[in-house]
Formats: sequence, C-alpha cells, structure tokens
Amino acid sequence: MRMFATIAKLLVKRVLTAIPILLLVSALLFCILRILPVDPAAMSLPPNATVQEVEAMRTEMGLNLPLYQQYGIWLNKLFHGDIGRSIHFRQDVTSLIGSTLPATIELALIAMVVATVFGLAGGLFLFYVRGTRAEAVMDFLSILLLSLPEFLWSLFLLLIFGVFFEVLPFTGRLSPGFERPVVTGFLLLDSLITGKISTFLNALQHMILPCLALGIALSPSLMRVLRSSLLDVYQDDYIQQARLRGLSEKRILIRHGLKNAILPTLSLMGVQFGFLFGGTLLVEIIYSYPGMGNLMVDAIRNADLPIIQGAGLTYCIAVLVISIVVDSLYMILNPKLRAR
Amino acid sequence: MAILSARNPILSAKNLCVESLGAKESFPVLTDLNFSLEPGKILGLVGESGAGKSMIGRTISQYLPKGFAVTKGTLAFDGEDLVSMLPERRRNLLGRDIAFIPQEPLSGLNPVLTVGQQIKEHLLRIGLAAGENWRERALKEFEAVHLPHGAALLEKYPHQLSGGMCQRILIAMAFSSRPRLLIADEPTTALDVTIQARIVKLIAEMQKRDGTAVIFITHDLRLASQISDEIMVLYAGRPAERGPAKQLFSAPAHPYTRCLQLANPNITGPRRGLFILPERMPGLRVLKELKGCRFASRCPNAIEACTQTEPPLADIGPNHIAACIRTEKTPDIVPPPLAPGREIASSKIHLNGEKLTKAYTTAWSPFAKRSSFKAVNSVDFTLGEGEFVGIVGESGSGKSSLARLVVGLDTPTDGRITLAGRDITANGHADRAYRREYIQMVFQDPQSALNPRRRIGSIVTQANEASGLHNSTRERMDRAAELLKEIGLPPDASMRFPSQLSGGQKQRVNIARALCTLPRILVADEIVSGLDVSVQAQLLDLLLKLRDEHGFSMLFISHDLSVVRYLCDRVMVMYRGEVVESGRTETVFANPQHAYTRSLLAAVPPDDVNAEWSPVLAEAGYQVE
Repeated sequence: MRMFATIAKLLVKRVLTAIPILLLVSALLFCILRILPVDPAAMSLPPNATVQEVEAMRTEMGLNLPLYQQYGIWLNKLFHGDIGRSIHFRQDVTSLIGSTLPATIELALIAMVVATVFGLAGGLFLFYVRGTRAEAVMDFLSILLLSLPEFLWSLFLLLIFGVFFEVLPFTGRLSPGFERPVVTGFLLLDSLITGKISTFLNALQHMILPCLALGIALSPSLMRVLRSSLLDVYQDDYIQQARLRGLSEKRILIRHGLKNAILPTLSLMGVQFGFLFGGTLLVEIIYSYPGMGNLMVDAIRNADLPIIQGAGLTYCIAVLVISIVVDSLYMILNPKLRAR
Repeated sequence: MAILSARNPILSAKNLCVESLGAKESFPVLTDLNFSLEPGKILGLVGESGAGKSMIGRTISQYLPKGFAVTKGTLAFDGEDLVSMLPERRRNLLGRDIAFIPQEPLSGLNPVLTVGQQIKEHLLRIGLAAGENWRERALKEFEAVHLPHGAALLEKYPHQLSGGMCQRILIAMAFSSRPRLLIADEPTTALDVTIQARIVKLIAEMQKRDGTAVIFITHDLRLASQISDEIMVLYAGRPAERGPAKQLFSAPAHPYTRCLQLANPNITGPRRGLFILPERMPGLRVLKELKGCRFASRCPNAIEACTQTEPPLADIGPNHIAACIRTEKTPDIVPPPLAPGREIASSKIHLNGEKLTKAYTTAWSPFAKRSSFKAVNSVDFTLGEGEFVGIVGESGSGKSSLARLVVGLDTPTDGRITLAGRDITANGHADRAYRREYIQMVFQDPQSALNPRRRIGSIVTQANEASGLHNSTRERMDRAAELLKEIGLPPDASMRFPSQLSGGQKQRVNIARALCTLPRILVADEIVSGLDVSVQAQLLDLLLKLRDEHGFSMLFISHDLSVVRYLCDRVMVMYRGEVVESGRTETVFANPQHAYTRSLLAAVPPDDVNAEWSPVLAEAGYQVE
C-alpha cells in the first residue's frame, strides 16, 4: 500500500538525518567530559601510583594525542561497541548499560501504557461531562493531579500499598528466591519465554507501584489536551454533518471526534515519553529499581566518565527512536501528512 | 412509508416560534413562521445574515444552538411533528428521509477518513438492498452526480480534492437515500462562480430525479429566483414576503425584497446605482421591544403608521403574501443615480508591471527533485492615477499571488515592476520603505486581519508606528477619529475591540487602516466576499466616495463579476497565472473575446428571471494520478 511506502521513506529519511545528530552529540559528550577537571588516567590507577605510572597510562590511553585524534579513536571504539570500562564498577560500560537499559525500557513502556489508558479515559470522561456540574469537579481533580509530581505519587503508593496494607512489593524487580532467566534482558518477556509463570507474576507485582506512580503523574496533561482538542473538533462542520446524517453520538465520538482529536494528544505523548525516559530516575531510586536511572546516579556520584558518556549516548538514541516512532504513528493517523 | 398525494405537504410550519432562552429573559429568534412545502418543490429562503434562514434548517434537525428552543407552534414532516417527536425517531429520519448539504464542502467531510470510508458508513446506515455491495452502490451514486473516476475517488482524502468535488460527494451522499426533504444551506457560497453554477444545476437535476422537496438557503436573491419554485424572504426572524419565485423577483411587493434586489449590482444592461440599505437589521433585544414593522427603521417608504403595529402577512396576489401596509409604493423605490463617470486621466501611470512572473519551487530536500510552477506567468499591467482595476478569475488563477507581488509580500522571479517611475522589482529594504508610502493592502477576512487584542483606534493608526508620524497618543487618537469619520463609524468606536463590531464594520476598519497614511494605491483582495449584499453595497459606495476625496487608485480582486462591473474602470481576467483578457470593464463584459471570460460570465445568474441561465457544466481540471 502507498501508506507503507510513504512511512518507509520517512523511516529512511529520519535514520539518515539521525546520523549527523548522533555524531554531534557524541562529539559534544566527548569534549565536555575532556574539559571536566578529572584525569581519566589517574582515576584508572590505584591512588598510590607514581607520576611515571600515570604518564605511562596517559600515553597508553592516547591522552597526549591531539583532541581530534582522541575523538577518532574513541569513535572507532564506539563503533565496535566499546564505550570503555567503568572506573567504579570495574566492568564494561556496554554490559552495565545492557543489563540496566531493558529494565528502564520496561518501566517506561508500561508507565506510558498506564498514562495512555488513564489519559484517554479521563479525557473522554472530561469531555463527556462537559457543561455539567461534574465537569467543574473533574476539572478541579485533574488540576490537582497535574500538580502532583511523580515522586510524591511514588511515596504515596509505596506507603499505602507497600507499607500500610502490605499488598504489593516495593523494592527491586524480583523478590529474593526467584530465579532470574536471561534471554533478552527484559524480565517480563524472558520469564514468559522460559515459561516461568511465577517469576513473571512476581516481576509484574514489582512493576505495579512504580508504573502507576509514573503513569498517574503523566496522565492529567494527556486528559486535558484530549478534552480540549475534542472540544475544538466538535466545532468542526463534519461533526455537525455526521449528526445531520443521523449517526449516533457514540459513533460520532469514536469514529469522527476521537480520530481527529487524538493527533495533538499523540504529539504530547511523544514528548512525554522522551522525558519519561530520563525521568524514571527518582522513581527508580525510591523503589530501588535497578535501571538506567540508578546507574546514572552512581556514575555521577563517582565521576565515572565512561558510564556518563555511554548513558548520554543511549539517551540520545532513545529520544531519536521515540521521535521516529511517534512521527510514523502520526503519519498513519493523519493522512494530510502523507503524500499529496 | 405513507403514500403521498401531491397535495400533502412534506414539510409544514404552523405558527412556529423559536426563542433564545436566557437566564432572566428570552428573545424571539423566529416569529410566527407559516409555510408548507410540497414534494418535488424548491423553496428558496433569502435574507441577510441573522435573518433566521439557517435557524429554520437547525429547527428541522432540532440541533439548535445552546439555549435556543421552539416555544410555540409545530413543524411537521409528513404529518409528524419534528419538535415533539422522540429524539430516536427524529435521528432515524435524518440522513434517510431528511438530508442536508452544508455550506463549507471541504470541512463537511472528516479529514482523517477516506471518501470511501465515509460514504460506506452512510450507505450501511441507510441500508443497502439485499446482495448489494456498498462499493458498487457508491460508484453508482458518484456517477449520478457526474463525478468521474469514482473508484479512485474512494481512496482519496478530502484534502486531496477541490471544494467543488467535495460538494459533489456530499450531494451524492445526501441523495443516496432518496430523501424526501433536502436542506441546502448556502451550498455554493464558499465556491467559485463557475463551480457554483454547476453545483446549483446539479442539485436541481438530482431533485428532479427523486422528486425531493428542497429548502435552498441563500443570501443571493438572484440565485434563489433561478432555482426555486417559491421564495420566502426573511427579515429579523419573520417572513417579509413569500411568493412564486419569478413573480416575487420580477415584481417584489415588500420594500425589503426590492431593496435587497437593488443593493446587488447588475451584470447585464446599463450600470445602475446601488440602493444602500442603511444601518443593520435590529438585534434580538431591540426586536423584543419593537411595536411596529421590523423593517420600518430602514425602509424608504416607512410612514408613521408603520411604527405603530406589526403589519400582518396579507395576500397581494395568487400565492403571494407580504407583510407591508404600503406594497403599492414598493415599485417607487428606485436605485440612486449612478455617480457621474470619471474620465480617467491615465496620463499619469502609478504602477506598471512588465512580464511579471512568480514561480514557486518546492522546498529543497536531498531526497526529492525540486519542481516549480508559475503562479503568475508573464503578466503585463498598468494602474493609472485614480483608476480602479478589477482582477477576476477562479481560485488558483493567480489573482492573490499577483497582489502579493504588487504589495511586496513576494518578490517576482522574473519581469519588472515600476512604481511612480522607480524600479522596485528587487524589493530591497529601500524599495519596501518607498513602496509602503505608496501602496497599502486591504485583506480579505477582517476577522483575522484585525488584531483582537488591540483597540480600533490603535489598529487604524498602526501604520504610524512604522512611519514615525503622529507618534504622540493625542495625535494618533485625533487621526483615528478622522479616519473613523471618513469610513462612517462613530468616534467612540476607537475605544472598542474588533469583537465588538459587526462584520461590515470590521471591514470598514480594515479599509481605514489601509488609508491611514494616505497611500496612492490600495490593493484589495476579495474584501466584499462573504458579506451581505446590503453591507457590500455600503462598502462599494464607501470606496467610491473615498476615491472622490483622496483620488487613490485600486487593484480590486474579486470573484464576483457584477461587483467588478459596478466598481472598476478596467478589468483583467486571469486564468492559470496568465491574463487572458483585459480592457474597459463594460466593453469586456458586454463583448467578451476569450472563451474563459465567456464561461465566467455565463456562470453568473442573469438579472432577468426569465432569461435562460446556461452555465458551462463540464467539470474541468481534475486528474486522478
């Protein structure tokens, strides 16, 4: 079909334009971390190393070469999947990120699903009660929700369901005693693949509170955007025309109203998802969730430059991927963006 | 379904009243409406905006604006009262027995669904015959409205189609259920004049095929008289006159009908002056207190008795009624004499364009080859001192692109423009400053051309901000007062915001703003389209009056040929970026040389109701990839 050809074209275009962006970000990361008053050579050696040893290390690491050559070497290593070794963890950065990234993706994806469900349902309900007294109440509630940040939700939920009622776990990804299958790194997926249903259920229980906290915090803005774009769309002639053709209100809302009103909501979701990726930090810390957020905090605390570089690049790639996905979705849903 | 005899009206209103219900008081919107419509007949509803024309359509569907309700009377469809009917029953009739055609065809279709998805939804709702496939049926319906390439059309989205094609699709949908009643609310207002003619003819053809009764709502009395069997002229929510279309048009009995007719410039015969209806229709609040005839305040024939009691709708001929106590005086209303023709001393040429061309090229992209098309192609023109030159043509003919070149919003890709002897083609910084002193533009839509957050006084003197003149507030307010006086607005209007003015008043402000620094040339892009004929007449005469006072010249872009004929000394006809014909307006319109000019003229409904209206009906310029 033509639509897929157009989307394929967009994908190729976007991937090609992503390359210079990535190069630029990597150069930026490289430069900034070289400017920092931290000597990587000294940091990779034990504290009692001599000056000669440090000099030897500098030569070995190529630190006495001109900056552009150093960047070239670094970039070359990067292409081969080598971002360096963590100074603090004494482990390859690639493997560190490889073990924490899936956890964060899992968290962010499920949180986004939660936010979408709450956002759409809430938006539709807000629209449905327009002009009634319930609207004023809902309006108040949605603003109240909007003003609560995700770490407060994390604490509330943790206290209520974890500490007070003791119905849900609130630390880590798994309770002790459960075996951790490793296939893809995505715990929920892996436990399903290997048929370990009890592990799957336990992991799912661990996901509930952090995902709810993130999802609830993101949903009010989605609700309000969906409501206001529905109100806009309902001013349009085709809605009136659909009524005059005798279509039911339900059909008009779902097929004609929502299909148009979802577009601005979708662009907001794209932006939110980008932020969410870097914004799981506090939630990960509160729930001791072993994701990228916790890794980053450790890295920054220990001035662990290779990890910071690696995480920065990962974040950049993630944002690019998300924006490509959102743009493709936008094209599927909005025919005006496709070929004329 | 009941079998109908020709006598049984399909729609009949008895003492129908619609009111706007406020918290404390309510206002009449439609008052004592009585009419009936027989199957197969077309009723034209005519009047200025706010007269209640569209409210009748909305009352039929019962989708009234918030706070509006039928407070008295009945509106029966085939004997069943639509007002008291259960909503489910009414909804069942909508789309099946009662169909609607909207004003804006492009926005009448859902932008994110294909034409096929939308017609499928409608066809499945109205029900298909056993074994019938929706696709085949849709193609059949498209064929009936003369839409070629139906199969390809099903895959298209509305934004890929022209307004005329969207309207055809909506007409095909409306008639696919063989409705017994069709309401067409200004179905051609948003379309070009040639498309308008085709669409109106198409509605008449489909209506004949199915024997559908039609309510045709329009502000154009001339158009209504061509298509309708009967016309009802509404004024401030009440019928002023109702009668057989031809009779009503050739011998209007109510002064309002006569005034509307005379406010519209003629397209054939000698040019005549326009009757200027003063002021505006009374608002809802005034109407409530009003004792006498609603029209009395604007009526040239009003006497003392008119303001005492509301005149009843009285018989004045077979099937012809009018709400006026002095109908015998109506023929005495004559248009004012035409302002004496000005001999244009074209010795002094202000503006001169030679081989002017504007090509648009697609944006640079590493992934596609750039392509270009010429919006304006090698156009020569001159504009003399005090001269009004009209530019006519359909949308996409390059009229507005040419205007943008003249005012300097765009730079020509080829050719030369000289303004009062200076070459301004390059459109550099100095050229622009020079041009600003000479040329000002009046934009089409006053709603979006006036900054809603600024007061009128500051809007009309906006040009001073750039020129550095009159920079004290005092001086600016004085200049604003002068300008407002010239355009006929009260001085206190300068403290108001645009939203507090009517459409006609806003357009006056729009003109005043352009006149602030006394430019020698005005460029006006469709500045009277979308306005009522009464307001249009006021503005046209205002422009002529201002020319007498200031002697500026004007490029007047319009798709309305009769307006151009009334206002402009010369005319240029544009087609696909080129000027295909130009000359003195009267000569060109009386004896058009180019086939395109002839087709434009043939598309205008004739002034004489008995003359044959035979527009060119082929839909041109459509290609499917």
